[in-house]
Amino acid sequence: MKFWQKIFIYSLILFLITFNLGGFFLIENSHNFSLKREMDRGLSEHYSIYTAITYYTLVSNSLLKNNSIDSNNEVITDYLKTFDNENAYLEVLDKNNSVVFSNIDLEIPKERVEIKKASRDRRRYIIRDIEDKTFLFITNLLDINGNTYKLTYIRDITYVYKDRLNQYNFFIKIETIISMILAIGMYILSKYITNPIDKLINSTKMIARGNYTERVNIHSKDEVGVLAENFNHMASAIDEKINELKTKTEEKQRFIDNLSHEMKTPLTSIIGYADFLRSTPYNEKTFIEGLNYIHKEGKRLEGLSWRMMNLILLKKENFSFKKENIKILLLDIKDYLKPKLQKKKIDLVISAKEYEVFVEEDLIKILVSNLIDNSIKASNKGSNIYINVYKSSKNKVILEIKDEGIGIPKEDIPKVFEAFYMVDKSRTRANNGAGLGLSICGEIAKLHKAKIEIESELNKGTNIKVIFP
Amino acid sequence: MIKILIVEDDRAISDLLKLNLKMVNYETKQVFNGNDAVNIIEKENFDLIILDIMLPELDGFGVLDKIKYLDIPVIFLTAKSSVSDKVKGLKMGAEDYIVKPFEAMELLARVEVVLRRYGKKNDILYFKELEINLKERVVRKNGNIVDLTLKEFELLNLLIKNKGIALSREKILEKVWGYNYLGETRTVDMHIQKLRKKLSLEDNIKTIFKVGYRLED
Repeated sequence: MKFWQKIFIYSLILFLITFNLGGFFLIENSHNFSLKREMDRGLSEHYSIYTAITYYTLVSNSLLKNNSIDSNNEVITDYLKTFDNENAYLEVLDKNNSVVFSNIDLEIPKERVEIKKASRDRRRYIIRDIEDKTFLFITNLLDINGNTYKLTYIRDITYVYKDRLNQYNFFIKIETIISMILAIGMYILSKYITNPIDKLINSTKMIARGNYTERVNIHSKDEVGVLAENFNHMASAIDEKINELKTKTEEKQRFIDNLSHEMKTPLTSIIGYADFLRSTPYNEKTFIEGLNYIHKEGKRLEGLSWRMMNLILLKKENFSFKKENIKILLLDIKDYLKPKLQKKKIDLVISAKEYEVFVEEDLIKILVSNLIDNSIKASNKGSNIYINVYKSSKNKVILEIKDEGIGIPKEDIPKVFEAFYMVDKSRTRANNGAGLGLSICGEIAKLHKAKIEIESELNKGTNIKVIFP
Repeated sequence: MIKILIVEDDRAISDLLKLNLKMVNYETKQVFNGNDAVNIIEKENFDLIILDIMLPELDGFGVLDKIKYLDIPVIFLTAKSSVSDKVKGLKMGAEDYIVKPFEAMELLARVEVVLRRYGKKNDILYFKELEINLKERVVRKNGNIVDLTLKEFELLNLLIKNKGIALSREKILEKVWGYNYLGETRTVDMHIQKLRKKLSLEDNIKTIFKVGYRLED
């Protein structure tokens, strides 16, 4: 059963039980009340008749000086004849239960307990259903001049029961109407209360089906609202994790694609030339040319494997860090790169103070020379490369390498640290690169807890900052 | 003579293609980037273009797009073996593709198929005083028909098409007898003996030590 149905049915059942109980007690109470009132009235009327008869017979007997049974009977009958009430009847029996007076026009049962047990000082009453009416019988013993009579007062109290029935009928009608109103109200209310839960269910279904960007749109402040909010937090966390995994697998796939590409190209040449040379007639020129290519491409493979090893080792080895003077390091690197710089007639301008940084000497040399090497590759002949070392406002040492080269397209900047990533694939390969330099730099920077920031504008130049911790 | 344009940015591979194509008497021209390729294709006439996909400036798909209207057959050369790239190339109208690293024989066979499809290759091959009619499947020596078995004919065909290139016995078995042939390489030797005798090619079909056989002029 659904939640809204539970709310609906349970509240309706609870209402019906309490409402019916309440109604029942109310009606019964008022019925008992009117019954009691009728009885009181009957008793008082009975009593007044009783006293009246006693008094009347006493008076008339003393006047008439006659004390026979017959005269007594006559007196009673005379007196009672004057009694006129359409709701009440009177009956007087003598001690042998023969009727002295009666105005009863009803079929009353022969067996009458109240008459058998009638006593002098206690009045007995009984309620009887006769035909479709209800009557109250009140009886006691009446002593007149030593003769015992049984006085019975009978009162029609049908209306009390009729009233009760009417009230029940009325109650059922009211209850039906109220139940209907309540049912409609509860339906709307339960739907309204459970609506956010339905939304939540739909959203979870969507997410389960793989639509991880789905969010729940509930903005209430109750428990469901809190649940929805937490649920959204959870969904975003999952979404994030999944995207992260996706990019990671994509990165890995690219790495494998690129690695296989980088290996296949030199292998194509090596296998191709070897096959060509062994299967064609000897010709000195092609022989030398072919062997040169085999050698060169073999070297390229060697370089690739060397750089791959570096990349792997960087992730595993423990390095010892020392304080080094950064200016001396830079001058060392400039020396080492001299042939390349001269070849392209590039001027490397270093402006650095003698800051000390906590680094691993060889690694930082690889890092900086790789970055400068990239700048050389990107630069045109005769341009300048600037290296600045300065302290930031937060007292961090920053090494900045600035070139006036071709720059990097904006959309490529986030990917340049990925292994094998090359902005211009053919150009990089023409320069004998495999796209591993920057990913090695990235790993070295990570080891130093340093950050590398790249700013670049196409055809204007690139500015790389290494920010030491 | 059939003229083939090689568009490949890797010098070593470009030269390798040139050497192999030259061996079987194709004229070749080399360019090393996409824009040069488009320029030269619009200026000169080529019978076939071998086109690398990853090129500087303009990639292979871009080149193909620009020269499509000339209706020159194109064979893609690619290191990417991904299916989507192959499909993209073929959908764009390339005749075939070759995946690096490739074998010389495979390259030549594909080049020949494409050229034949475009009617640029004669159905008659000539070698010395021999005339091999591929359609009629007969070999004439000085105008007289020489009786050859089916396998001998195919073996001769293979040797002529790969003239100057040594073929291993295994390769010959695979190409003439099929992949599933379970015979021995001795079979190849016996057929070579018969060919040499029937067509007096004793001096032309050379045995290459440790490799196989090669047809030479």
